[in-house]
Amino acid sequence: MGTPEVAAPSPLLRQPLLSDEDTVRSHDRSRVHDARDQHKRWYLLWLLVGPGILAMLGENDGPSMIAYASDGAQYGLGFFVPFIPILFLMAYVCQEMCMRVGAVTHRGYGELVLQRYGSVWGWFGAGDLCLTNLVTLIAEFIAIRVGLAYFHLGAGVAVALGFVLVLFTLSGGRYWRWERTVLGLALFNGLFLLAAILVKPHIASIASSFSFTPLPHGGFNTLLLLLASTIGATVTPWMIFFQQSASADKGMTPEDVRHGRYDTAIGAVIAAIFGIGALVAGAALLTHGGSGIQGFAGAGFPEALRRVAGSSAGTVFALGLIEAGAVAILTISASTAYAAGECIGVSHSFNTSPRSAAVFYAANIGVALLAGMVILIPGAPLLSIALNANVLATVLLPVSLVFMLMLANDRGLMGRWANRPSTNVVGIAVITFVSVCGAAYGVDSFLQAIHVIGS
Amino acid sequence: MSGHSSVHDAGRTPRHAMPEQLPVEPPEEQELIAYLEPDQLVAETFRPVTRAILTRNAAVVLWALRVFVVLVSLMVIYTFVVRLH
Repeated sequence: MGTPEVAAPSPLLRQPLLSDEDTVRSHDRSRVHDARDQHKRWYLLWLLVGPGILAMLGENDGPSMIAYASDGAQYGLGFFVPFIPILFLMAYVCQEMCMRVGAVTHRGYGELVLQRYGSVWGWFGAGDLCLTNLVTLIAEFIAIRVGLAYFHLGAGVAVALGFVLVLFTLSGGRYWRWERTVLGLALFNGLFLLAAILVKPHIASIASSFSFTPLPHGGFNTLLLLLASTIGATVTPWMIFFQQSASADKGMTPEDVRHGRYDTAIGAVIAAIFGIGALVAGAALLTHGGSGIQGFAGAGFPEALRRVAGSSAGTVFALGLIEAGAVAILTISASTAYAAGECIGVSHSFNTSPRSAAVFYAANIGVALLAGMVILIPGAPLLSIALNANVLATVLLPVSLVFMLMLANDRGLMGRWANRPSTNVVGIAVITFVSVCGAAYGVDSFLQAIHVIGS
Repeated sequence: MSGHSSVHDAGRTPRHAMPEQLPVEPPEEQELIAYLEPDQLVAETFRPVTRAILTRNAAVVLWALRVFVVLVSLMVIYTFVVRLH
């Protein structure tokens, strides 16, 4: 693949040299160059963080935090406290490649797969992503609804809140504004850490849980399902699409790869800490009937926490769920919009106006609106949809990871920024592990559905 | 490094030279454009990259992916529909 990779010049080059998108991006880049020239290290870091933290904290979404809390309520802290950081370490390995490909090629994941490996794979990825994202977004609205129920507010408020947030963040016409707004909101993911503090856990029990014992009780199938669903959901298809496209949209270049790694690592660390916070908060219910609280069936989680640990813990946990769902709605809608724009071949940037990037904005708003409308349908099987969101992702996840690895190894695109052999060893191991776990989860769910194995 | 235009040179200064095919631009645009990589311009990103020439191993991996996608899709769709009911 060492041949020139760019086709003949397009007539587009004869249009005005700088588009509005270029102008906005160059202003952002000028600040980066100035900070770098003046050796303002912290300011440079501040300018360049964003996509990595958003991808990681976006993955700490409503369903994930409820899952962590459920794990704590059912199994306690043992095993999961050391397990969660390992999951995010694996997520870092995958997301770093996305960031690097985006920064070097200035192109999103969807368009590169489509152009480099053919329209079948490109459209399959985008189509499956849109379906998976829609189902996941429904789960996010349900998470907001669960949080709002603690304050005696209904589904209509949940939909309105999510939709207004999407419209508000899109209103600036700049990637920078969108990113900073969502980052500001995402920091409230720390509410789960506050909830963990409020339940007054025994520090000694948290420290002792780092021994990876005891293993979660239950049968082998239960254990497999638990591990596979958790691991398979750690790196999700939307994160891959999102971080590569957002890195390109932010205007990152190879010079910024080092800071992109910091960004991704910071995101992984704080997401792991906040995830453990949800786990610790949930573990407060372990000896108070917590085993009966599973997934979204435990919609009364904040209420249960209030009874055990006081109203402050319940309130903070409910607010955390609202935040987790809201941030995920924004990032997942964005990944859908990027994928739609890239595959259709039209403008796909927050740095453009809605008039110039109608498909991008319509996809962003449309998928959020559609998901919100679903949860307003009386009698819709919301619980089933929410619980099965990860099953759908099992198809796309291995495909996404394999293409990501191929892109990161593509020397025609990446040049000297392509994966090193050592990166490939780690990357292939992680991707194989995550893919097998994701596929195992899908196969296990199928075998349960046809009653070959018990649930 | 392959030397094509979408591969970046980490040692380049911000005020890099413009690609030859681009027209002469007004001074204010010159100032702005200097902050962007040549292949970072919107017009440039709309130029599609060429199809990859796959190695034998890569082709085998993609065929394995096709089989995987068909099999797992059938299982996942069945599971999803059953669980919805």
